[in-house]
Amino acid sequence: MSHETLAPPAMRTLFGIGLLALTLSVAPSALLAETDPAAVLRIGSLYEPQNLDNTAGAGQGINEAFNDNVYEALFRLTDAGTVEPVLAASHEVSEDGLTHTFTLKDGVTFHSGDPLTAADVKYSIERVVAEASKSSRKRSLANIAGIETPDDKTVVVTLTSKSISLPYNLSYVWVVNDAAGDITAKEDGTGPYRLEDWARGTALSLTTFDGYWGEKPANGGAVFSYFSEAAALNNALLTDAVDIITSVQSPDALSMFADTSAFTIAEGKSTTKQLLAWNDRVAPFDNVKVRKALARAVDDKKLLEAIWGDRGTLIGSFVPPTDPWYVDLTGVDPYDPESAKALLAEAGLADGFTFTLDTPNYDPHPITAEFVKAELAKIGVTVNINIITPNEWYEKIYQKHDFQATLQEHVNHRDIVFYGNPDFYWGYNNPEVTKLIEEAEASDTEAQQTEKLTEANRIIAEDAASNWFFLYPQIVVSTVKVTGYPVNGLNAQFFLRGIQKAS
Amino acid sequence: MRRLTFRLGLVLLGLAFAVALTTLVWTPWPVEDMSGGRLAGPSWAHWAGTDRLGRDSLSQVMIGARIALMVGLGATLVGGLIGTVAGVLAGFAQRGLDDALAAALDILIAFPTLLLAMLVVAASETASLGTAILAIGLAMSAIIARLVRVVSKRVLAQDYVTAARCCGAGWLRIVLTHVLPNIAPTLLVALALQFGLAVIAEASLSYLGLGAPPPNASWGQLLQQAQATVYTAPLGVLVPGGALVLLVLAINFVADGLRDLLDDSAEVRE
Repeated sequence: MSHETLAPPAMRTLFGIGLLALTLSVAPSALLAETDPAAVLRIGSLYEPQNLDNTAGAGQGINEAFNDNVYEALFRLTDAGTVEPVLAASHEVSEDGLTHTFTLKDGVTFHSGDPLTAADVKYSIERVVAEASKSSRKRSLANIAGIETPDDKTVVVTLTSKSISLPYNLSYVWVVNDAAGDITAKEDGTGPYRLEDWARGTALSLTTFDGYWGEKPANGGAVFSYFSEAAALNNALLTDAVDIITSVQSPDALSMFADTSAFTIAEGKSTTKQLLAWNDRVAPFDNVKVRKALARAVDDKKLLEAIWGDRGTLIGSFVPPTDPWYVDLTGVDPYDPESAKALLAEAGLADGFTFTLDTPNYDPHPITAEFVKAELAKIGVTVNINIITPNEWYEKIYQKHDFQATLQEHVNHRDIVFYGNPDFYWGYNNPEVTKLIEEAEASDTEAQQTEKLTEANRIIAEDAASNWFFLYPQIVVSTVKVTGYPVNGLNAQFFLRGIQKAS
Repeated sequence: MRRLTFRLGLVLLGLAFAVALTTLVWTPWPVEDMSGGRLAGPSWAHWAGTDRLGRDSLSQVMIGARIALMVGLGATLVGGLIGTVAGVLAGFAQRGLDDALAAALDILIAFPTLLLAMLVVAASETASLGTAILAIGLAMSAIIARLVRVVSKRVLAQDYVTAARCCGAGWLRIVLTHVLPNIAPTLLVALALQFGLAVIAEASLSYLGLGAPPPNASWGQLLQQAQATVYTAPLGVLVPGGALVLLVLAINFVADGLRDLLDDSAEVRE
C-alpha cells in the first residue's frame, strides 16, 4: 500500500518563474530524426483506474492517464518539481495574502466544444472540496472561504489563512466543464487529448483533440494497457506489445532489458521514501538519543543495494531531491554502530531493549525487517517482526496508533508537513517544527517558504524523527523508438504530449 | 512399483527429518550472516547461492525443512485429535444431532482449508508458529471428523458391537476396544495424506505473510522473497520450491504405501 493521505504543503509560484521544460527528455537517440507525429503510443501500466473521476476514489492510475493529458488545471506540477501556470493567464495576491485573483487564458474550449469560463473553474474547485469528494487533496484546500466569479474570465478565491501552496494545490484540481455531470465513465476536459475508448479491465485509449488551445502534441494519441502482474507487463515490452512501461518495481527485472540497442532504461527520482517510523510517543522512542542510536545502527547503503541493486538514492531525511527544500542530510546520522552503542548507553539502555516491528506483508518490507533485525542485534537491540496486512496497518497503526515501530513507504511529493502534525501516526511532536511548517505556509515569498521548510527538514533529521532508509528509483523502460517521456513521474503523473515515437 | 515408491518416500522423509534435526545444532552458515554478497550464484561456500541480503540460501532452506515438518506434524496432531474426538461423538449421535453435526462438518469442509486457516490467523493478534499450527490443524479437523464419523458408524453397526452393548459395555469401552482399533488404519492413512497437505498449507500461509514470522525461514516465505528476483536469481525460487515438492511427494508416497499395508478396504477398491 502506498501511503497517500494528507496533502503536501506547497510553494508559492508567482509568474516570475521561467517555464521549465515540461519533461526531462531521455537521451535522444539517432532515430529521433524520423519521428512520426501521428504515432499512437502504447503504454503499459500496473495501475488501472477504478473509474475516471479523481474525486471518486479512482486510484493513482487516473492521475497517470488523465493529469495534464485529458484534464488541465490552473497550474501544473512539472516533472522537475516546479509549478507553472497552465489555464491561468495571471495570478494576483492581495496585500493580506487572503485573496487570490486568477485570470483565465483566452480561447480555451472543452472537448465538448463549450468555452472555458470562470464558472467552470469554481465548479471544479468545489467538486474537489465537496462533502462527497474522496480526493486525498481535499484537506489542503480546506482553507478556501469562498470563490467568486465577477466575470467569465476572472476567478477570485478568498482564504481563511494565508497559503503559499495554493497554486501547487490547484495543480491537482482538474478543470472540468460544469455541464459535464457525472464523469466517472466519461470526460470533458481542456487537455490536448480526449478519451476515445475505455475497455474496463484492459485498456484506455486517448486521441488528440483538434480544438486544443495550445501547441499540438508530438504524437497522435496513446493507449494505456493495464496489467495486474509485473512479469506480464515486462513480457509485453519484450514482445513489442507496448512501447513504454511507466514504472518498474524490481531492479532484477531490468536485466531483461539490458540490450541498449532495443531498450532505454530511464532512472528518475521518485518521491517514494521507505522508512522505519518509530512511535515517537512511546518509550524508549520518545528519547532522541535512542532514535539517533537506532538510525546509526542500520547500514542504509547495504539495504538499498540489497533491494534496488545500484539504483535508488540515500536520503537523510523525509524530503526527496525534487522538493525545493531538499538538502543532503545523509551525514547527520551516518552508519556507525560504535557511536550507536555509546548513545544507547547514554540513554540508559546499555543492555539494549526489545521492540516489535509491525511489517506490511509485501515486498520489500519483510526483507527490510529482517535486515533491521540483524543490524540492531549487533547493538544489543532485539526486534520481533510482526507481519501485518495493509488493512491491519491502516487500522492498527494509522488510525489507532497502536504500535512501537513500523515500516512504510510514503509516496507523496512535498509531504514534510506530516511532521508538523503531532496527531499523525508516528506522533512526532516538536513545537518548533510545527511552527516552522505553519509559518512556511503563510510565507510571502517562495524563498521564505523554502527557508522555513529547509530549517524544519534539518530539525527532523537532527531529531531522527524516523529512520529514513532510501528513496526508490523511478524506472521507466521503453523501446529505443520512443523518447521525451517524463522520468520522475511526480505524484504518478505521466505527461504524454512531449513523447515522440520514431516511425 | 508401489514398494519402490514407499521406500523412496521413507528415505526422503527420513532425510528431511535428519536435516531438520541437524539445523537445531548446525547450519552451513549462521542465518543472520549477511557476508555473502547480493544474489551470489552457487559456489563452494554457498552451495545454493545467496539471497538479496547476502545470506546463505542453503542454510535457510534447511531451516525451512524444520519449520515445514514442525507445522505439518503439529497441525496433523491437532487436526487428528480434534477430528477423531468430534468424529467418534458424531458416530454415536442419533438422528437430529447426527444430522446437525454432519451438516456442520459439511459446511466447514466447504470452506477451503487455506481460507479457514487464514480466518484463524486473522482472528489471533499476531502470526506465529503456534497460530499456523492451530489454524491448519483446525481446518484439517473437519475433514478428519467427517471421515471418522462415517467409519465409526460402520463399526458401530457391526453385530459384535451390538453384542457388546447387550453385555452391558459402556460407550467408552466400546470406543476403546472396538471403534478406535477398527478405524485406526483408515485414520492413519488419512492423517498421512493430511500431513502432506498441511506442509503445503504452511508454505501457502507464510507465502502470504500469515505463517511463522521472520526470521523463521519458512519455504513459503523464501518463495515470496525470491519472487522479486526470479529472473536474475531463479535458484532462490527453485531450491525452496524443489524442497517443498520433494517433501510433499515423499509424504504422499509414504501415505500410499501405508494404505497398501494397513487399509484392507484399499484392496477392495482397487
